[in-house]
Amino acid sequence: MGYAAARGGLEAIAAAEDLVRDARDLAGSPWLELDQLIDRQRLAVDRVMGEGGLWDPLLAARALQQAEGDTIEASHLLRSYRATMPRFAYSHAVDMDNAQVLRRIVPAFRNPPGPQLLGRTTDYTGRLLDRTDDDVARERAEKRASESVLLGTRESDTDELQQRIPVATSRDTPTLGGLGDRRHRRLLDVLRDMDLLVDRRRSDDPEPVDITRSATRPPAPRSAVLATMARAETGALVNLWYRNILGPDGYIHEVTLGEVRHAEVPVTVTHPHTGGPIDIGVVRVTEVEAIEDLDGADEERTRFDVGYGLCFGHNEKKAIAMANLDIACHRDRRGTGDEAGDGAGASELEQSILMTTDGLDASGFLEHLKLPHYVTFRSMIDRKMAMRSAANADDLGKRATDAPVSVDPREGDCA
Amino acid sequence: MSSTLADLVRAPVDPGILDEHAKREVRRAILTAVCVPGYQVPFGSREMPVARGWGSGGLQITLAIVGVDDIVKVIDQGDDEGVNAVNLRRLVTNTTGAVETTEVDEATVIQTRHRIPEDPLSADQTLVLQVPVPEPLRGVERNMAALAQMHAEADYARMWVSLYEDKVRNGVITKSTGYPCLVGGRYVIATTPIPRWDIPRLHQAPFLSLFGAGRERKIYAIPPDTDVEPLTFDDVPFEVERTPGASCSLCQATEAYLVEIPPSSIGAADGRWICSDTAWCRRRRSEDNQS
Repeated sequence: MGYAAARGGLEAIAAAEDLVRDARDLAGSPWLELDQLIDRQRLAVDRVMGEGGLWDPLLAARALQQAEGDTIEASHLLRSYRATMPRFAYSHAVDMDNAQVLRRIVPAFRNPPGPQLLGRTTDYTGRLLDRTDDDVARERAEKRASESVLLGTRESDTDELQQRIPVATSRDTPTLGGLGDRRHRRLLDVLRDMDLLVDRRRSDDPEPVDITRSATRPPAPRSAVLATMARAETGALVNLWYRNILGPDGYIHEVTLGEVRHAEVPVTVTHPHTGGPIDIGVVRVTEVEAIEDLDGADEERTRFDVGYGLCFGHNEKKAIAMANLDIACHRDRRGTGDEAGDGAGASELEQSILMTTDGLDASGFLEHLKLPHYVTFRSMIDRKMAMRSAANADDLGKRATDAPVSVDPREGDCA
Repeated sequence: MSSTLADLVRAPVDPGILDEHAKREVRRAILTAVCVPGYQVPFGSREMPVARGWGSGGLQITLAIVGVDDIVKVIDQGDDEGVNAVNLRRLVTNTTGAVETTEVDEATVIQTRHRIPEDPLSADQTLVLQVPVPEPLRGVERNMAALAQMHAEADYARMWVSLYEDKVRNGVITKSTGYPCLVGGRYVIATTPIPRWDIPRLHQAPFLSLFGAGRERKIYAIPPDTDVEPLTFDDVPFEVERTPGASCSLCQATEAYLVEIPPSSIGAADGRWICSDTAWCRRRRSEDNQS
C-alpha cells in the first residue's frame, strides 16, 4: 500500500516517541541535571524563557532538556504549558529605574552618569576555542573556586535547587551582597536634560495590549509591537534588523546605543485580600535604549529620538535589535498619517515585526510541510492536466478555423 | 497562609490542554463567526501541544465545543489513520472524555484537514476544519490593513480580476484547493484547502462548519443553510477534480475524491486510484461483501 509515510497510527507515534526519549535519556553519559542547564547553559535558558514568554528557569531548563537543546521547541513546550493555566492577575508596570543593574554599558558617552559596568560578557574575549584537556580544565576550575572571592559573596547555599529560584527582594535591598545599590540614572534622562530628545511621552497612559489574549494585527499600538518583539525568536529579530540594513527591501539607520543593561527587577501584583502591592519575585531582563539620528524633512532634525528594547533574561542581541526596530517602525509610519504611532496607520515594517518574528508561528508552519499533502497535490495535478487539455483544444480550434489569430507573446510562456 | 491565588479566584482546576477561560473565549469567537457567516473573527489563539500549522486552530475549536457526551472523528486527507489525525484524536479524547469513532454517522464532531467526508452530514453534526491560511485575498494583496479594508467594503474586484487573468492566460482557472467562495452573499472565504470536489457540499449544507486558523488567530464559520458560491464567471463553469476513467481500485467508486498511487517506475502500468475517504471506502467494500 502506498503512502506508508502518512500512515502508521498510534503504534508508529509511540515508537517514534520512544526512540527520541530513549536516545536522550539512556545515553551513556551522566544524566543532564537541570541545575547544569541553569548554571552552565544560562543564555539558552534565558532565551527559552524570553521566547516562551514565561519566567521560570527550572521549567525552561526542563523544556531544553526535553527538547534536546532546540530552543524553539523548548519555547513551544513552555508556551503550551502556560496555555493550560488560567490567568489570575496582571503585574504592575515595572519601573525600570528600580532595576538592579548586573551589567551596564553606555556606548554613547565615555563617562555617562553612573558606571560603565562590563559585567558578565564575552564581548572582549578572544573567540578562541579552548582545547584544554577537560580534566585539567575541571581541576583549574575547582582551584579557582577555592580562591574565589566572588563566589564567596554569593547567596550561600547553591547546592539546593530551590535556592536558584529568585526570592522576592525588597526594592530597597541590593541583591548582590555587599556590592551596593545598583540603580542608576539612565542616559535618556541626561539627553532630556540636554534638550536633545524628541518628547513622545504620552499623558493618557493607555493599557498595554496583551498579545497572548488578542489577535494582534497591523495597525497595532506600540505596546503590541514591543510585546511581540519581546517574545519573538531571537534569530528572527536579528535577521529582520540585518535585512533592513543590507537587504533589498528597506533601510533603517544604525542607531547609537544609549543604554545596554542586564538587570534584576521585582515583579509586583495587587494582593487579592489586602489590595496592596506585593512583590512576588524577581526577574532578570535585558534593556536597551537606542538613540536615533533624525534626518527626515518632516522630523525634528535638531533632536534625537529613541527606540526601546526589553526582554526576559540576558539576551543583548535581541534587545538591541528590538530597540532599533522599535524606532524604525515608528519612523516608518511617517506618511501613513499616524506619526503618533497610536495605531491609526500601519507600516510595512510593522507587519513584518508583528506577523513574521514569532518562532512558534514560523517554525510550526515551516514544519507542517512535512504533513501529507496528497489531497491537495492531486488537485494540483488535475489543474495541470486541465491546462493541457485547454491548450490542446485551443490549438485544434485554431487549426480548424484557420483564421489569423493575434497572439499575446506571454501566452507562449504558459503553453 | 494556606490559600493560594488559585483558590481565591476559584479557578477550575483543569487537567486539560486549554484552560476554561480560553475555551470560553473560543466559544465566543465561534458565536460571532456563526452570526456573521464568512467573517474572520480574531481570537487570542493559545499555544497547543501541536505545532502551529498542524491543526492548532481546529484543535482549539474542538476542545472548546466537545463534552463527555460527544463522539469525535478526526481525519487528515480523509484518513482516520493518518498520523496527524491519530495524534489530534488522542489529544482530544485523552483530555476531554469525549469518545472517538471513525464512522461518520456516529460522530457529533468531525475535525478534518483537507477533506469533507464523502457521506452526507446531518444538522446535528459539526464539521471543524483546520485552516493553514484563512485569508483568501493574500494572493492579490499582501498588506494586512488593506486586506481588512477590502473585506469590510466587500471589495473583491481584484480577486475577480485575478481569476479572469488566470482564465485568459491558462485557458482554465488554475486555483486547485482552498477555492475562494462567497459566503451568504457577503464575505469571500478561503475553503481551508479542501479540494474543489468538496466545495458543492458546503452550499446550503444542513450542518455547521467551523474553520480554525490557530497560527493566524482567526475563526470563521458557515452556518447551516447558507449559500456558498465558488467565485467563477457565468460562462466558466466551476470544475471539480475528475480524471476520465479513474475509479477506486479497492471499492470501484468513481463518484468520490480519488487520490493517485503513481506507477512504481517509469512506464509501468501499476498506477491506480484509491478513495481519499478511507472509512467511506471501507464501508462500501463491506456492504458489497454482504450483498
